[in-house]
Amino acid sequence: MTKSMTPIVVVPRKGLEFPDLHEVWEFKDLLFFLIRRDLKVRFQQTFIGVLWIVLQPLIQMLIFFVIFGILVKVPTDGIPYPVFYLSGYVVWQLFLQIVNSSATSLLGNITIITKIYFPRLTLPLSTMIGAVIDFLVSFSLLLVFLLANNYPFTDRFLLLPFLVLLTMIFSEGVGLLFGALMVIFRDTKNLLGFILQIWMYITPILYPMTIVPEKYKLFFFINPLTGLVDAFRWVFLGTNSLPSLEYFLVSSVMAVIILLIGMMAFRSMENRIADVM
Amino acid sequence: MTRYAVRAEDIWKDYKIYRPFEGQGSSLKEVLNHPIRWLTRKNKSTAEIKADGTFWALKGVSFEVQHGESIGLIGRNGAGKSTLLKIISRITRPSRGKLTLYEHVNSLLEIGTGFNGELSGRDNIYLNGSFLGMKYKEIKSRFDEIVAFSEIEEFIDTPVKYYSSGMYVRLAFSVAVHLTPELLLLDEVLAVGDAGFQIKSQQKMKELIRSGATIIFVSHNSAAVKDICKRAIWLDHGSLKMDGLSTEVVDEYNKTCTIK
Repeated sequence: MTKSMTPIVVVPRKGLEFPDLHEVWEFKDLLFFLIRRDLKVRFQQTFIGVLWIVLQPLIQMLIFFVIFGILVKVPTDGIPYPVFYLSGYVVWQLFLQIVNSSATSLLGNITIITKIYFPRLTLPLSTMIGAVIDFLVSFSLLLVFLLANNYPFTDRFLLLPFLVLLTMIFSEGVGLLFGALMVIFRDTKNLLGFILQIWMYITPILYPMTIVPEKYKLFFFINPLTGLVDAFRWVFLGTNSLPSLEYFLVSSVMAVIILLIGMMAFRSMENRIADVM
Repeated sequence: MTRYAVRAEDIWKDYKIYRPFEGQGSSLKEVLNHPIRWLTRKNKSTAEIKADGTFWALKGVSFEVQHGESIGLIGRNGAGKSTLLKIISRITRPSRGKLTLYEHVNSLLEIGTGFNGELSGRDNIYLNGSFLGMKYKEIKSRFDEIVAFSEIEEFIDTPVKYYSSGMYVRLAFSVAVHLTPELLLLDEVLAVGDAGFQIKSQQKMKELIRSGATIIFVSHNSAAVKDICKRAIWLDHGSLKMDGLSTEVVDEYNKTCTIK
């Protein structure tokens, strides 16, 4: 406990800085307890508890099924509705949850941030891991539906960890950027909900890319989520074609760049937030 | 052997005082509603606040703290005590100057920070400890001691939202003082719990000092500062006014308080 440490020098902030990832690693136990806190608090005092984690995607899928499958009758390229929606929903939900929780992680924990020092990046990181846990649950649910609908478990699934990682990187980058913006302009908090709602409708989650007119397709593929959702569907269903390798390279590089910018923006805001509040 | 705990070299800290159209922290609405006023914004300066809304909370504070020292930080409201603690605890960064920390810092600026009402006392001990940078194993090894000191054994698995405010505060204080690494920063937290617990917590602090911990302690309680700390630092309007033996500094400070 009284081991000598290398002195920490605290000086004024200067320009752009990058979060100290080594320090985040030092606080990995905090990361674990934060994930545990969020899970426990979420299901505390609910009647069916952890069952919600399974029920949430199921109910959401049912709503999509009734509205878009039965009432609006959106085509799904002949793919059964439950697997079609669920395969898009798991990706969208992963993105949505990471963006929302990362964006609000600074302001939402302001009472702690202004009282204790700890690497702030542990907050969005913990919620990101929480979102991945949710993803794994809804993914297991999807697997059940896939097998029930005679979509076998193939070697395409080997691509899945890479796709999940890419989604995590991109979503975390977007979330951190919004989080930083929120510290300067509180309006962002109100705007974010609408932005995400629009984002969902311009991503082929509730409809297949095949119903999108040719002239708008380019616009759709500027949205990195379009390619991701398509790639996930290819893994799960194997029906549509996999986006090209070039596309993956470009979107991977883009995702990493967005994450790096997001981390720097987050870092400069975490320095400032204690002064602004 | 003298060993430094903290070295503060010419620490300055400015805050932008929030006034409409200041830019920082302004809402988009203000800018959009009055774009011309925003572009031509001007603010008058006062003695403390400059024209651009800058307020200097600390104006060139320098001091050194040696390992094992116990220091009382005194001064009027707004003298910069809390700002200084926030800089030492790394919650905020100085605007100018340099601060060097040679020991692990544990700040207790508010009782029960990071506690979650939905979680049990047990869970909160682990969560709070890990916020303070402790490892799971370190917390576990001190767990029984923490619980015993806080006197809440029977309720350790009850969500803390059902705790009385006294129980809550005792648990929070207990976590902080038991998980203390080397340098403990305290802000007005001794006024905690009932009289019995206050005595107990003061004793605990003295025990920490005896065991070699470094303590910086902000308080308006002159008696407690004299009792616990050997040395006191008096801040006045962001500057260091006096630094010396706690008995002398506190007496000097008290003189200025009685003269109106």
